[in-house]
Amino acid sequence: MSRRTVGALVANDLRQLARNPRLLIFAVALPLVLWPLMWFLTSLTGERRQERLESRTYLYAVADAAAAADGPTAADDPTAAEDSAAANGAAWLERALATVGEDAGAGYAAPEDGPAVRFERVPAPDDLAAALEAGELHVHVAWRSGPGNDRASPDPGEAAGATGDTGAAAGEPTDDDREAAAATGDEAAATEDPVPRAVLTYRADLDASNAAEGFLRRALQQTRVEVRDRRLVAAGFETDPADLLPVERIETASQEQTSGLLLGRILTAIIVLMMLTGGSIVATDALAGEKERGTLETLLTTAARRIEIVVAKNLSILSVALITSVLNIANIVLWMQFDVIPAPEGLKLVVPIGTGLLLVLLYAPAAVLLSSALLLVSGRSKTYKEAQLLFAPVMLGSLAIAAIPVLPGIELRSAIVLVPIANLGVAAREILTGAFDWPLLAAAWTVTAGAAALLALASVRALSAEKLITASDTDAADLAGGPALFPRRVARWFAVLWALLLVWQLNVGGIDSRLLIAINMSIFGAAAWLMIVRYRLPLRETLSLRAPPATAWLGVLIAAPAGLVLANGVVRLASLAMPIPEEWIEAMADAFGADLPLWQMLFFFAVLPGIFEEIAFRGVLLHGLRTRLRPVPLVLVAGIAFGFFHVDLFRIPPTALLGIFLVIAVLRSGSIYPAMAWHALHNALALGSARVEQIPLPEQPPWWHYALALAALLLAFRLMGRQAKAP
Amino acid sequence: MSTIQVEVQDLSKSFFDQSRGEVNAVRNVDFECRSGEIFGLLGANGAGKTTTLRMISTVLQPSTGTARVLGHDVLREPVEVRRNLGFYSASTALYPRLTARETLTLFARVNKYPAERTKDRVEETIERFGLGDYAGARIEKLSTGMKQKVSIARTVVHDPPVLIFDEPTVGLDVLNALDLQKGIQELRDDGKTILFSTHIMSEAERLCDRIAIIDKGRIRACDGLEGLRAATSRHYLEDIFVHYVTGNDDTADEPK
Repeated sequence: MSRRTVGALVANDLRQLARNPRLLIFAVALPLVLWPLMWFLTSLTGERRQERLESRTYLYAVADAAAAADGPTAADDPTAAEDSAAANGAAWLERALATVGEDAGAGYAAPEDGPAVRFERVPAPDDLAAALEAGELHVHVAWRSGPGNDRASPDPGEAAGATGDTGAAAGEPTDDDREAAAATGDEAAATEDPVPRAVLTYRADLDASNAAEGFLRRALQQTRVEVRDRRLVAAGFETDPADLLPVERIETASQEQTSGLLLGRILTAIIVLMMLTGGSIVATDALAGEKERGTLETLLTTAARRIEIVVAKNLSILSVALITSVLNIANIVLWMQFDVIPAPEGLKLVVPIGTGLLLVLLYAPAAVLLSSALLLVSGRSKTYKEAQLLFAPVMLGSLAIAAIPVLPGIELRSAIVLVPIANLGVAAREILTGAFDWPLLAAAWTVTAGAAALLALASVRALSAEKLITASDTDAADLAGGPALFPRRVARWFAVLWALLLVWQLNVGGIDSRLLIAINMSIFGAAAWLMIVRYRLPLRETLSLRAPPATAWLGVLIAAPAGLVLANGVVRLASLAMPIPEEWIEAMADAFGADLPLWQMLFFFAVLPGIFEEIAFRGVLLHGLRTRLRPVPLVLVAGIAFGFFHVDLFRIPPTALLGIFLVIAVLRSGSIYPAMAWHALHNALALGSARVEQIPLPEQPPWWHYALALAALLLAFRLMGRQAKAP
Repeated sequence: MSTIQVEVQDLSKSFFDQSRGEVNAVRNVDFECRSGEIFGLLGANGAGKTTTLRMISTVLQPSTGTARVLGHDVLREPVEVRRNLGFYSASTALYPRLTARETLTLFARVNKYPAERTKDRVEETIERFGLGDYAGARIEKLSTGMKQKVSIARTVVHDPPVLIFDEPTVGLDVLNALDLQKGIQELRDDGKTILFSTHIMSEAERLCDRIAIIDKGRIRACDGLEGLRAATSRHYLEDIFVHYVTGNDDTADEPK
């Protein structure tokens, strides 16, 4: 490798960038201004909001006893009980309001001598919902008798005429709270008095109302705790509850260590982000842009080696990423110095020179890996635009990996050491907290460096991949792989999809069956979409989105029950070879949401599969196999493949049979719609029969059932066929 | 005394195309070029000219067969091959933000021209192609004709003995095209070996010392203009070309 060649190429890249003022402004200069500005504005608005919430006067109203009398918990003599509750409650409220703001609770630390939260009583409005809406009132208190849970419960009586977003809440129930609820009223109140229960009505979507409720609720809860404690002491509880179990905390981590942990968690993500945003400025242009402009071919016909070009491009990406990262960090630090941006609290960072160097060395392969990934994306793209498009998934994927060090409890001494970038992130976190696990550090470094080398070599290959070389005269389809390439790739795609689903299904347990089916269907839908986009498949043709002959619908009505009978026959046949255990049948009933409402069952287990499985299997898969196989093998392969996607061993035979039928339906009618309808209907019937009989297997029907079903099916297929035009 | 500079032996290239399936772009092509001659590849669009030239310039890899430039094999010593090669085509663009001088310096370096002589060579090339007046202006500011000149200068700046011109006059007006042809003749007179491809008969007639007529990836005939005239007893190259491409037994094995 010649340093002169590489140097000349890097200098050329940087010169190109330096002479591109538009790119510099938008990709480098503008972010330098926008980042701090955004940060500044966020912290400013946050502070302002908090200030405003803490310094204002909140309006509250108390329902009078008569109005509360129509409450739902009224006993024999409702009016008297509610009167008593209201009287009790008034005492509570007074006491609570006196403490408001003293211990305002999380997020609303009361200022020492600043403006405090104040509550002002207003007369109870006639129309509570309207008053809340108009801001004439922020929180409404009603007193009821009878114990209740401290639970948010929309109260239709209270919120009469209110919109759906009006709710009543009074905190989460804890053991303490329940005790408090049992120990009733004010100290002055007699024990036989009804328990007063506060009902706070507010609007969670209105800032002031939401805050007022929070302050008032916490004040009431605080008061309750105090009263209870005092009462416990009075009742002969020997010590003050506060003295019962004082807890003190001694933290032995140095501030550097806690700061190190904090930094270690986010450092990798920051570096990845900066590498990608900075590096992409050059990377998108590096190969894809040169390809588009025709300069890549010029370069490839020179004596420069492919590896020299790749190394040079990598160096360009790295240096620009480094420069922009340094600029960005310096920029932020600068603004923090001027106090425009708040510095993170408690961050005291002293990284010893040795550790710093170690970190640089550690992150070096990660940086190379990322720049190689960017280069590869650029190299595999035909145009600048395509490179930009592919850049987003690289970014998201890398950030997901970089976020791994944030997860608690992950140590370098685990399988994570094998995950490039993430391993260095975990390593950096450990180093910053003062733990040096040398053998594993070396292993992590080697893994990531190896991955970087592999990607760099892949970029070299991308330069030699002849179809990618010239934008000028090769078909655009060559690059991304157009529709004609799809038949060669369809098997691979579905194999990966199958493996993915298998792993996912085996690892998922106890998940709601509706969620499970929704996720599975999304996977099918997304995979189909991905293939259609990737190979630019013509949508209508791929998915057979055509109107079927009208008779096909009649065919579907006949075919669905007939198909089900035959599918059950296959289950029976298969059960001769491998008997189906009872538990399995029960498990199946559970899996298919036997306890769901009928419409949900139909929606999740009939309609959704009818749409998405058809799109994936009778649409994309069938389209891909179509040109490669003759009709009979086509029907068998496409159908049986569908069966295998039903990971469960006992479900493979009937679903494969159904798959075969549905393929025939599509081929006969030239449309996917009858297959969708059939599939949905089939599932619905299967669910229905299982529901009626509680077991999926009906009694052994006589042989002529099958014969009849088969005949009906043949008739149905005939009905689905496109009629030859009348002569 | 001319020596063989480029040797092409049994060169074939097939690739998979989305719409056409397996395509044999070049089939069993043989020829050789000597120093001081302009060797023309004459063929219609899609005949396999560009593919052949790209294989010689090592950008594409042959499916079978081989090519040698100054004895260097395209597969085994691609860097040496490219070092002795200047490749020019309508699709080999220049960096728009570089000046002509920077462009020449970059390509002299990248083509591993001796470091100590690079500066002199660049100035010499600027002189030779008459780029002096605008050597400091960015390429993007230049007219098509000027870009053309810089592009040729770029092709020869590392003083390669073999030059490939792949349809160089595509998209040029008559005057610029004639200018280019003159430039190519001058390079031949300097003793360079020139491989030249075109689909324009007059261009081939005027420039080429020997012509290979290429059709559907095969070379149908390869000789000097006089030789071709004698073999076909036709005078105009156009007629000779049509004779070889359509009315010949060679095409019997082609699917119609």
